[in-house]
Amino acid sequence: MIRSVVVTGAGVVAAHGSGLPAFREALARGPLPLSDVPTEDGFHPPEDAPRAALVPPDVTKRWIEPLIARRMCLPSRLAVSAAIQATSEAGLAEPGDHVPDGDATAVCLGTAWGSISYTLRLLRQIEEAGPGSISPFLFTETVANAPAGQVAIRLGARGPNLTLTQREASGTAALVRGAALVASGRARRVLAGATDEISPILHSVLTRYGSLTRGDRARPFAADRDGFVVAEGAAVFLLETEEDAADRGATPLVRIVAWGRGNDPTASATDWGRGATGLARRVATELARADVPIDTIGRVVSGASGSRRGDELEARTAHALFDGSPPPVLAPKGLTGEYGGGFLASALGSLDDEVASPSVGAADPDLPVAPATGPLPPARRVLVTCTASAGPFAWLVLERP
Amino acid sequence: MSDHADPRNRRRIVVTGIGAVSPFGPGVDALWEGLAAGEERIRPVELFSTEGHRTRLAAEVPELPESLPAGLVLPRGSRPSRTDRFALHAAHEAWLMAGLPLPAPPEAGLFLGSSTGGMYEGEEAYWRLRRTGPERARTKPFAPQPNGTPADAVAHAFGLSGPVEALATACAASTMALEAALDSLRAGEVRVALAGGADGLCQTTFGGFNSLRAVDEAPARPFRADREGLSLGEGAGFLVLETEADAASRGARPLAVLAGAGSTCDAFHMTAPCPEGSGAARAMRVALADAGVSPGAVGFLHAHGSGTPHNDQAEAAAIRAVFGERAATLPVTSSKGAVGHTLGSCGSLEAVITVLCLIHGRVHPTPGGGVVDPEARVDLVLGDPRAIDDARPALSLNLAFGGANAALILRKGPEDPR
Repeated sequence: MIRSVVVTGAGVVAAHGSGLPAFREALARGPLPLSDVPTEDGFHPPEDAPRAALVPPDVTKRWIEPLIARRMCLPSRLAVSAAIQATSEAGLAEPGDHVPDGDATAVCLGTAWGSISYTLRLLRQIEEAGPGSISPFLFTETVANAPAGQVAIRLGARGPNLTLTQREASGTAALVRGAALVASGRARRVLAGATDEISPILHSVLTRYGSLTRGDRARPFAADRDGFVVAEGAAVFLLETEEDAADRGATPLVRIVAWGRGNDPTASATDWGRGATGLARRVATELARADVPIDTIGRVVSGASGSRRGDELEARTAHALFDGSPPPVLAPKGLTGEYGGGFLASALGSLDDEVASPSVGAADPDLPVAPATGPLPPARRVLVTCTASAGPFAWLVLERP
Repeated sequence: MSDHADPRNRRRIVVTGIGAVSPFGPGVDALWEGLAAGEERIRPVELFSTEGHRTRLAAEVPELPESLPAGLVLPRGSRPSRTDRFALHAAHEAWLMAGLPLPAPPEAGLFLGSSTGGMYEGEEAYWRLRRTGPERARTKPFAPQPNGTPADAVAHAFGLSGPVEALATACAASTMALEAALDSLRAGEVRVALAGGADGLCQTTFGGFNSLRAVDEAPARPFRADREGLSLGEGAGFLVLETEADAASRGARPLAVLAGAGSTCDAFHMTAPCPEGSGAARAMRVALADAGVSPGAVGFLHAHGSGTPHNDQAEAAAIRAVFGERAATLPVTSSKGAVGHTLGSCGSLEAVITVLCLIHGRVHPTPGGGVVDPEARVDLVLGDPRAIDDARPALSLNLAFGGANAALILRKGPEDPR
């Protein structure tokens, strides 16, 4: 038996601050604000002026007491703050309270990079004071599943506790897995989403790989796109069965009617591949299994971020899936940046009649898909796709409840 | 998307291949010979300096061949990390044993747990960056650093186009990878699952566990009264899973049945387990219910058995909570006294070992001297391998940082492969 899965609460922390309404208002004004990435650690050449969508200092203060926050790495603080918002918005628990039925509440988070800043602090301790000087507290928070563990502790979520690391697809993959946990009955409720920090060394390495735009704005699907903007933050959704939501009088924000994963074996170790046909075939197969006709999908929310090859893969996958005639395609990473859950938070609002979509300049004539602009026709269902460097791919179909 | 309420309605999932890279060397035969002989491979670390640490010991994997196993191809210019290579060799052994083709068919998926990924190489890259400065630093060495890179490497090498799930839930990661594979097969998302985990030693984890004073200066002695901590290890373990019907249709011999799985979280502390083991007990109960197996039917238990005072105490409490009086006579073993705690790969490596125990009809002993902790009240297998009733299912349990717990129920295959 497949259980119907709905999202009844959402929390987000990003460069705009915190909260889903404020996030949407910020996107309506344009891309999330950028800040200077600290350079004093010497990871960037002196002539660089690195920028990223960083969260404001103390952004989690509203959700986590400072004494407790001090014992968490930034991805943990972001995830806990977003999870508290999600449970509160869903009417499940007051902020700071444990969720009811904790044994049946799972946590499933995706993180592309984990807490690199804590790992670096630990390596620096070894470098400067010797191996015996390592702080046990730092070590505990360097593990990739620290945010999921902290969310569980904070909210009393004693069900399955999973952490996925699948680069740019980490958050979408976690949402897909969360939906599967609810549908299969492994968990009654799941707190699923993404959390990531942007550390100076990560920014430096991605710059050197040529992944990041040289400007201040990513231009998904544009002819002159030259990379993405990195963003830190978290987005966590509360997933539950439609029946449970109805029983407790909760109003679903969206229904998740289909989902799936795949892999592009043509990808290199650090870039996107060219296996659009295979990915499209995978989606088509799973849509058929879920009994979701492809012509019921009115929009595509693409994970295109401004990456040369990533956008091409996203565009060709959508083109192949819809036999050359895809519905309007949105590319919210032009506003939210890459990583940190902004993409997921944006996807959640993609069924609205008025959807924020970045203006990208001249569309790339070599791509078979151009980003949607202007007012969109109403849509009942939206396909969210997210490819990643090195091959991971996750997607889901959201439906207006 | 199966219904977990009724195990009878589900497709039976069988194990048709197993593979391992362990401190005993590559291959499941070397692993079983070492374990059955009661040997341990915990030695002074050669991979990096251990100056200034509480312990100098860990269980390292002996040098593997530089070349990839036959038929596996990585993208041009790739430099697989040590962890990637452990994963590739162990996965290849399992895949070959299952008699599956390369590249992998489109209906195959990969489920891989790792807690360090290419951290060892990431550390080397960091030290180089600090020495040379950003202008002269090379970027390529950073490529294998993320936790998900062993999954990327295996997916590439096997040409996988189906689902790939990279789990990083610390020391329960690969146990959860097996649970994920089980669910994916039951739901019909994949028809063949390559599931397991891999982890390599690195300075961050070695220093970190030393800083927590969670390591023993001597080789780990799980469940012994005088235990003082764990010994780190490294390696990889993989299983090929498919439905019984699919295995039969292609003439593959089932080695074992993965009958059930369950996972929970303590939600108690980031590193310390619940003293009464309630989270671990719930994971075992969920797995037993998932398999439709009563506690009284279980033939032996492959414990997490890390050797830390708190962990073993909590785990023993969990075993007593689930098995009641029978806990005193239920054969319990831990492989961490032999191959160390292989972190994210320990769950799948121990699942491979559990399958080997079922195949051989014997449970391997737990190395390490000293008397069994009388407060643990577990029947620890010591000395020689102990014969078991191999018709009974086995339970394998793992606990992790973040309070994660995961358990598997494995049965001997429908056909005796001996």
